[in-house]
Amino acid sequence: MSLESFSLAGKTALVVGAHTALGRAAAIALAEAGADVVVTTTSLNSRESERLSACAEVIRSLTRKSITHTLDSTNEADVASILQQTVSEFDKLDILVNAPDLPFAKPLAQISLAEWQRVLNENLTSVYLTCRAASPTMLAQQSGRIINIVSVLGERGMANGSAYCAAQAGVLNLTRALSLEWARNGITVNAIGAGWAEGMGMIADEQLKQQLARYVPNKRLAQPHEISDAVVYLASDSTGFITGQTIWLEGGVLSRL
Amino acid sequence: MRVLEKIRLDDKVAIVTGAGRGLGREMALALAEAGADIVAAARTQSQIDETAQLVRTKGRRCLTVQTDVTDSASVNRMVEATIAEFGKIDILVNNAGGATRGWNKPLETLSDEIWHNGISLNITSTFYCCRAVLPHMLKHGGGKIINVTSGLGVRASRYNFMYSTAKAGMINFTRALAMNYADKNIQATLILPGIFPHDDPEMMAFWQGGKFIPVGRTGKDDELGPACVFLASDVSNYMNGEMIALEGGGLAGGEVPTGFAPIVPLPEGAQS
Repeated sequence: MSLESFSLAGKTALVVGAHTALGRAAAIALAEAGADVVVTTTSLNSRESERLSACAEVIRSLTRKSITHTLDSTNEADVASILQQTVSEFDKLDILVNAPDLPFAKPLAQISLAEWQRVLNENLTSVYLTCRAASPTMLAQQSGRIINIVSVLGERGMANGSAYCAAQAGVLNLTRALSLEWARNGITVNAIGAGWAEGMGMIADEQLKQQLARYVPNKRLAQPHEISDAVVYLASDSTGFITGQTIWLEGGVLSRL
Repeated sequence: MRVLEKIRLDDKVAIVTGAGRGLGREMALALAEAGADIVAAARTQSQIDETAQLVRTKGRRCLTVQTDVTDSASVNRMVEATIAEFGKIDILVNNAGGATRGWNKPLETLSDEIWHNGISLNITSTFYCCRAVLPHMLKHGGGKIINVTSGLGVRASRYNFMYSTAKAGMINFTRALAMNYADKNIQATLILPGIFPHDDPEMMAFWQGGKFIPVGRTGKDDELGPACVFLASDVSNYMNGEMIALEGGGLAGGEVPTGFAPIVPLPEGAQS
């Protein structure tokens, strides 16, 4: 092996949700490793679009190509169109990163059906849509890397977190099922399990952050890149034998009670 | 610092047990290629000598220490020799282990000796190595412990009681390390290699080329190195108590005979 094993030079990546802390860090890490990166939002929101442009600027400063799309990732036609545009621009798609993160917490008794559906749609259904839209290209190539970023709340429950926990667990098991479906097609489907990182919507409150940092065995929250840099490894050519797996970067949270 | 620079291991010192062949040698060479000096430990001197020669071709130093990891005095001497040579230990890879003698033995035929020797080789050895290395990591402000487990550490197979028990123990031992030393900047993680026949034609035939593995093949040796380097490097500093499994998809569902679900359409009228 050589450190070239980690190089992504010449690869094309699409990061859905590059406005989020972890999605942004993933997009930048992919570019640092040599990939061109198309980045999107997950909703038609001007704040998301602004963050996206800033992310694309960083990628271009690394002398990689970047294209930005403001996208509603729950809209079937729009997702299909972004995938088509990406493939027609780069003639291929090597890496798809799904980094949606719509935080939501509320006692179950008070969650409206509309709220429930929105949380499931944006966190889970969007992943189904992007994977489906990427499939003709990746199946034709007989190669691809799909990396879904999930939360530790996909593995652990939390009071008031029912909808979010269900959606995140859904992504985890979607990852496993899809990995098997495409196992013989050169496409790996894995997840990065994210612990608590600075800049996450779910934990904006300073007091909560301090509480979490005390609970985490590493005794601190992660910087987003400490979680998202792992996409470079999973996206590389040396991970063809890893599929249906989750690499957890969570400061030891899942090791403790 | 850019991500590819963060993956380098320049000036680090790594101990690899069971470094004389197979997976251990592969990981030792990968760590050396990423810039680390290596301590190659194993029972058979001629094998670690070969590993050392290969490490040196990569421009790194290599100390060989003939070690019996089931003997705590031997493990302690290995660590002393490392400190005498390099002054510190940044990375410990607990790779020594094996299943051969406990393999394919119904429980009622499993002898005390096979059980105890197997547990000793596969898990007590890791306890000895960690106990000897930890004080040095604590003194130097942290380190990386990489433990090797197996698919049999998370699932069971027919008549492999000792190995399944020891490798499951490895996983929760790793979590305990993470839990207790995380705040001292020590990260303990796991590599779970699936089936790696190391280009041995007999092994390839035995595993039928991996046709029952979802991806349709067995693992290639050069896939192990990058996983080890990733876990040894600073890019995985927030990963603790967790694993990278290189096993071709078996753990996600099951081996291939379980296959694809039949196509089951929704009932009439259920489509919206």
